[in-house]
Amino acid sequence: MSGASLARIGALLLALAALQWLAPLALNPYYVTILARIGIAITAAVSLQLVNGFTGQFSIGHAGFMALGAYSSAAFSVYLGAAVLDSLGGGGLVRLVYFPFPLICGGLVAALAGLVVAVPALRLRGDYLAIATLGAGEIIRIAILNIDAVGGARGFSLASSAYPSVDLRFDSLAGVYGVAVLTIAAIARLVYSGGGLAFRAVREDEIAAESLGVPTTRVKVEAFLVSSFFAGVAGALFAHTEGYIHTNSFSFVRSFELVAFVVLGGLGSLSGAVLAATVLTALPEVLRGLGEWRMILYSLLLITTMIVRPQGLLGQRELLPLPWSAHRGARRAGRGAA
Amino acid sequence: MALLEVTGLTVRFGGLTAVSQLDFAVEEGALVALIGPNGAGKTTAFNVITGVYAPTEGSVRFAGDEIGGARPHAICARGIARTFQNIRLFRALSALENVRAALQGAHRNGARDMLRGPGWGARERSAEDEARQLLEELGLGAFASARADSLPYGEQRRLEIARAIATRPRLLLLDEPAAGMNPAEKQALRALVADLRRAHRLTIVLIDHDVSFVMNLSERVAVLDHGEKIADGAPEDVRRDPRVIEAYLGSESEAHA
Ligand SMILES: Nc1ncnc2c1ncn2[C@@H]1O[C@H](COP(=O)(O)OP(=O)(O)O)[C@@H](O)[C@H]1O
Ligand SMILES: [Mg+2]
Repeated sequence: MSGASLARIGALLLALAALQWLAPLALNPYYVTILARIGIAITAAVSLQLVNGFTGQFSIGHAGFMALGAYSSAAFSVYLGAAVLDSLGGGGLVRLVYFPFPLICGGLVAALAGLVVAVPALRLRGDYLAIATLGAGEIIRIAILNIDAVGGARGFSLASSAYPSVDLRFDSLAGVYGVAVLTIAAIARLVYSGGGLAFRAVREDEIAAESLGVPTTRVKVEAFLVSSFFAGVAGALFAHTEGYIHTNSFSFVRSFELVAFVVLGGLGSLSGAVLAATVLTALPEVLRGLGEWRMILYSLLLITTMIVRPQGLLGQRELLPLPWSAHRGARRAGRGAA
Repeated sequence: MALLEVTGLTVRFGGLTAVSQLDFAVEEGALVALIGPNGAGKTTAFNVITGVYAPTEGSVRFAGDEIGGARPHAICARGIARTFQNIRLFRALSALENVRAALQGAHRNGARDMLRGPGWGARERSAEDEARQLLEELGLGAFASARADSLPYGEQRRLEIARAIATRPRLLLLDEPAAGMNPAEKQALRALVADLRRAHRLTIVLIDHDVSFVMNLSERVAVLDHGEKIADGAPEDVRRDPRVIEAYLGSESEAHA
């Protein structure tokens, strides 16, 4: 590993530590919660950007994958994690080692569902694919609503009746933003590499890509698989920071909100998705003083932005040269070799 | 054995027969022109050879294997590449990325590139070098980092050819590469096609609707009209063929324009 990337990781860990310890001192708990929601929104938006912005497949059912991640990770923690944490004493370090597991569990379950949805749905194009994904998202939500083991219509609390003393919540800003950064890094490394070029080629022209040897169906399925994995992780984060989940949080309204993040940020821009997820999650809170005018103003802002900048805030550009982008990496390496 | 062997190929779209009982063979190393008036079925023939459409009847054999109905990417992997009559570049990608996306080694890893395992850097570097070399060869070096859709028209056509060659084909199908070009550009394109054919040992089938463009370029000309092959032979003979003259008189453009 090069010195530059070690320095970058060091700086990132410092920033996360500062966020973890300073934010709760400087801000009231309500704002800390908003900060956590922003981190989760970023994770979900970036994951959707892979499908909608980089592969050109318009999915509008992403909340369904978040719901699967949220509920499966919550079930994992309640029915398995509580016992494990109880027997290990539940100290700080034990919790830190434990929490990646429900997140990965949520991601894997969502990825599996992504695969199940993608294989038939990707035979469809454009509007038809959008409607199919919307339907899939709603089916997932309603199915969960009917499972009593995860609370059904009452919602699901992250508390184990067998081990009531074990705290299953994980309200760590460092954890939330650490996951967000990992997600951004993973997707950036994917789309800005040779393999990712195939994804962007599918977005640009599916027939041309296919005739140039790109297996477009496989590429689209992979995009759905990776995307729904990270959406599931975002859902798992949501469940474990909030401590209580209800299927209402994962309706098509949530899906549309995610679509707004990627479209407003710019389809094909990771930094755009980050920016839009941040602004649009913070905005309703900033506007809270306006009472019922709040959502009207929010909508007007959305409409105005799309009229003024139909390509989104950043179009297909990235705000800063991503350290993971292939071009820079390859060129730098090339110069080193020359 | 011919490299490409189309036998009894028929393609129907609903009630419309776009290609009818076509027999068409191309020997390894040949440069064959496929001409015919608009709507004759030339592009449809390419679409079937490259897997965009499946044949309604008949067979397409490449290097001895049946490829009719196979997926386009699989056909490309066997060694057939093409350009499109209505340019289909990856518009928002750079010229360099357009070519890189067509390099077979470069994108094979798909989502696994997320992990950037061993050899990733070397792979990226060699792909970039290879793509740059091809751009230089096609006289597009100066456009490497320009968006594909910002290139002038003639350069866009050449970028499509560069991209097709990047797949390392044995057989290259060019669909009206000279469309929209002035006589000087057409002359330059002819020279380019001849050069590429030699440098990359290509077998080429080239579509044009005008026999004069292919006159001094190809050894053989096949003529389609209303989906049927009405002539196939040396350019001078084809040009004098009464059926060909009639086919062209019946449409707007002329064989001896
Ligand atoms: N996908 C399609 N669906 C229906 N008709 C088609 C399709 N593709 C081509 N055709 C028809 O087939 C005929 C041959 O078209 P084409 O192969 O494009 O001709 P050419 O390339 O010789 O000008 C035309 O009548 C055209 O309208
Ligand atoms: Mg045509």
